[in-house]
Amino acid sequence: MPTIFLQRDDLEALIAGPDETASRISIDQLEQWLMLVKGELKGHNTETGELRIELQDSNRPDLWCCEGIARQIRTKQQGVAMSYPFFKKQKRAAGKLVVAPGLEQVRPYVAACTAIGYRVTASGLAQLIQTQEKLADIFGRKRRTVSIGLYRLAPIIFPVSYDLVKPDDVRFTPLGMETVMTLREILMVHPKGVEYGGIVSGHDRLPILRDAKGQVLSFPPIINSREIGEVQVGDDHLFVEVTGTDLHMVALTLNIFAANLADRGAVIAPVEIQSPVKTAFGKRWHTPIDFGAPRTIPLKAIETALGEALGSKEVTTALKSYGYTVKSAGPKVAVQLPPYRNDLLHTVDVVEDVAISQGYARFAPVMPSQFTVGGLSRLEQMADRVRHLMVGMEFQEIISNIMGSHQDFCTRMRLDGTEWAKVVEVDNVMSLSYSCLRQWITPSLLQVETNSSRAFYPHRMFEVGEVAVPDARADVGSRTITMLGAVIAHAGAHFSEIHSCLDLLLYYLDRSFTLEPVPHPSFLEGRAGRIMLDGRAIGLLGELHPEVLEQWQIGVPAVALELEIDRLLEEV
Amino acid sequence: MDNLHPLESKVLLALAPQPGSPSTLDHLAESTGLEPSQLSMAVEWLLAKSLIAVHAETVAYIASLTPVGEVFFEKYAPIERVLSAAREAGQIGKRLTIQDIQAKEALEPSDVSKAVGTLKKEGAILIVQGGCIESTGRNSPTAEAMRALLQELRSGQRELQTFAEPLRAVLQQHAVKRGNAREPFRVDERVTRSFLLTPTGQEVADQLSRDGVAEEVSQLTPELLKEGAWRTKQFRKYTISLRAPRIAAGKRHPYREFLDLVKLKLVSMGFQEMRGTLVETEFWNMDALFMPQFHPARDIHDVYFVKNPTHAKNIAEPYLTNVTQVHENGAGAGSTGWGYQFDAERAKRLVLRSQGTAVSARRLATSPSVPGKYFSIARCFRYDQVDATHATDFFQVEGIVLGSDITFRTLLGLLNLFAREVAQAKEVKFLPAYFPFTEPSVEMHVRHPKLGWMELGGAGLFRPEVTTPLGVSVPVIAWGLGLDRMAMVALGIHDIRDLFSADLEFIRTMRGSF
Repeated sequence: MPTIFLQRDDLEALIAGPDETASRISIDQLEQWLMLVKGELKGHNTETGELRIELQDSNRPDLWCCEGIARQIRTKQQGVAMSYPFFKKQKRAAGKLVVAPGLEQVRPYVAACTAIGYRVTASGLAQLIQTQEKLADIFGRKRRTVSIGLYRLAPIIFPVSYDLVKPDDVRFTPLGMETVMTLREILMVHPKGVEYGGIVSGHDRLPILRDAKGQVLSFPPIINSREIGEVQVGDDHLFVEVTGTDLHMVALTLNIFAANLADRGAVIAPVEIQSPVKTAFGKRWHTPIDFGAPRTIPLKAIETALGEALGSKEVTTALKSYGYTVKSAGPKVAVQLPPYRNDLLHTVDVVEDVAISQGYARFAPVMPSQFTVGGLSRLEQMADRVRHLMVGMEFQEIISNIMGSHQDFCTRMRLDGTEWAKVVEVDNVMSLSYSCLRQWITPSLLQVETNSSRAFYPHRMFEVGEVAVPDARADVGSRTITMLGAVIAHAGAHFSEIHSCLDLLLYYLDRSFTLEPVPHPSFLEGRAGRIMLDGRAIGLLGELHPEVLEQWQIGVPAVALELEIDRLLEEV
Repeated sequence: MDNLHPLESKVLLALAPQPGSPSTLDHLAESTGLEPSQLSMAVEWLLAKSLIAVHAETVAYIASLTPVGEVFFEKYAPIERVLSAAREAGQIGKRLTIQDIQAKEALEPSDVSKAVGTLKKEGAILIVQGGCIESTGRNSPTAEAMRALLQELRSGQRELQTFAEPLRAVLQQHAVKRGNAREPFRVDERVTRSFLLTPTGQEVADQLSRDGVAEEVSQLTPELLKEGAWRTKQFRKYTISLRAPRIAAGKRHPYREFLDLVKLKLVSMGFQEMRGTLVETEFWNMDALFMPQFHPARDIHDVYFVKNPTHAKNIAEPYLTNVTQVHENGAGAGSTGWGYQFDAERAKRLVLRSQGTAVSARRLATSPSVPGKYFSIARCFRYDQVDATHATDFFQVEGIVLGSDITFRTLLGLLNLFAREVAQAKEVKFLPAYFPFTEPSVEMHVRHPKLGWMELGGAGLFRPEVTTPLGVSVPVIAWGLGLDRMAMVALGIHDIRDLFSADLEFIRTMRGSF
């Protein structure tokens, strides 16, 4: 899903590791390795060394950054997961972060750590900001569930408080502004306030992060303070915090950031979170936190799903070199994800990781051998018969979009205000040209006629396609009908022409029909008929009203036929 | 010889019996019985083909009456009327002036003065005192010649040469000339050509008279067939190298032809067709596919929501309960679930079907066959700006395969089959992929003869969180093929909107190579 930009030499350095000399990686090799992260190289600028990579897995936010991609590749090369000591329980925290009561109603969770010893470079900063944005935007659903703040550590005096304040009670200078503003002003004036304000709207008190001296760090999830919350190139003491609405997602996001900074050489120190209420982590805990648990899986389950008897050794090797902690015990394996991942919902997730780690080429394709009978639905068979007969009557088949405008489907057909004008409409309209589903085919064909006055005549065209007709009795409020629409247009187009087509069509389909006069606004009065089959209306035909033709700017007479193919199947 | 028109044959045959003796058009008209226009056409063609040649060209002068001459014949010529008026007046002792005669006879002044001039010159009249005209009693040769000529030419034109002097001189004197149209006669030049067969023409003519002429016809008619007369006819040969006139065919849409072929392939591989509805609930479109309700692809900017009604009345049980549980805690499916509170109201929200997999999900819930293979070609809607690569709605070809023998390896085997059967690809590559409802997931790339490596489709094994709540206990492959690009190459177009073109000329001329 996300597409990220990274520097080729940065990636190479991270794959090599902090104490190793990086070596050039060919693009071919890179593309091979990207399979480990479900990544696709979308672009490569040979001058700047910039790579554009699309990552597919929306459950693996740890891979949406240069560090994460490098980590997965490096793990495969080394055969084991990298160790991050800060995930182990440590007695000493760098400081405390105290959560105030009441936040459980607004934005309950927070995680934080410090990172010292990595001097921020320009390209490193670009990566930090990109990761922050991608995680908050996609994983954090546009900051709603997760948002991230990066700060210079030096000015911050612990303990930091995560608090609720009234919108006018606190003021600070936000990033991107020159003057001190209240939270209310930020929500009204600041671009980020306007963009993300909806997340905290409806609360009379708003979240704020301040240090022991009352200096504002940020107004989560909207904006950081300009003084403390602007990391610059050259900084080497950082403070990272994550706030959000989901305890595990907040913790995971911080874990990813901590691992990323550690990969770049920073020493991570935890922050102790103090919560007023009991959470899944208790009332006091350190972040980063390894909250994963081992899961025991029968080896057989993996082998059966893959269709290959890999054996315990290969499975263990595959998972270890993909970052898992693995303990093999006879017919079972106990596996645990690294702390920067939280996407193990089911055994099948492990199965896939085994396959990815070994490479899909490891598994020889086998043809499914069980016998099945193929066939088309009765409706499709009938639709195909109708299509072939229409072709035989010298009609050109058309395929149109089903989505269109009320203007085309109703207004231009003189249907406004009538029962014929009921259509399925879209709530979140992107463009008025595509705001509803067609309830009949004729407008689609008239659209073609409008564009085709220079194509030689006569014009005979048809479409067999789906339409949606609102129907209160239907489960989903509308019925999807497979419909035949046909239009004949030329200087002498006449009712009897289309009537003959209908007559012949239904003769071959062995359905005896009658026509009843119908006052339909799209057709000339007295020249339109309702097609009746066993006492039920199954369609319409007639000479199109001159006003309809005028609306479509069509300069020749035209006749139309509309027939429900579903109905041809009934009661036979 | 092959290309002789029936008219040409007639002329050749008319010339053939008298080798060496030329014939004029008049002769030929007589011997062939052809209309003058037909005859001159045939002669021109034969000349062009060098089958005949002009033997001699003679010029004849033909005299005839003009409309003025016709009037003179009815009322006599002015010269006669002037003379007889003078004589009648003399017999009763009267004298007439020129003006008197002009008034009496209602003649043009120019005609009268010209007649008087001639009569005086010939001594038939005298101009006496007072400008009066007096008959001498002598005849006027001109008046007599005039009368004879009017009489003669009244019955038809004649060659000038056949008139003896002095008639010929009078005729020429009174013939229409430039600047004087009021004359009773006209003399026209007529070129008469006579024709001879050339040596080749002689050969052709001899052959014709030996073999006989089959009459050439352009169109075989029911009458010719009925009477058997076609046996003696020749059918004129056409210039078949000309471009054929354009016609419009009744035909399938080329894109539909492509999809029909895909349909045929799938049915032949043992797949049953499934159908669904354009409007779906979020439940079947997403929830049943284990896409959490907070999934980014469920955003207002990715899916079209229906305005009215906004929600379905209900979701069938036990599926709603089962799916709710599997989302919340994975119960029943051996999963942890997503760990959030499932919103049953959200599940009822109506959307425009955004993925064909919704059709598969519904099929899973309605006792599918095991083993079973299913496919659908479903119209789907995405909330995208319409451009060259995004249509407002488009076809998705997707389906499922259920069976106790289904594994990751049989999944790869099935994709190999698709690559071979649907894309005629010999080389296939499998890449790890991500879909919310499958694990493991695969992306299949094939080497297309024109496009090189391209993604043909995605597939995977449905997560147990999808199959278990719907009552399916065997492994299920879910697959989807992205065929639009292949179709566009096959149809030679570069804009996805052209698959749904509203331009009849474009559709009539579009053709596929597949």
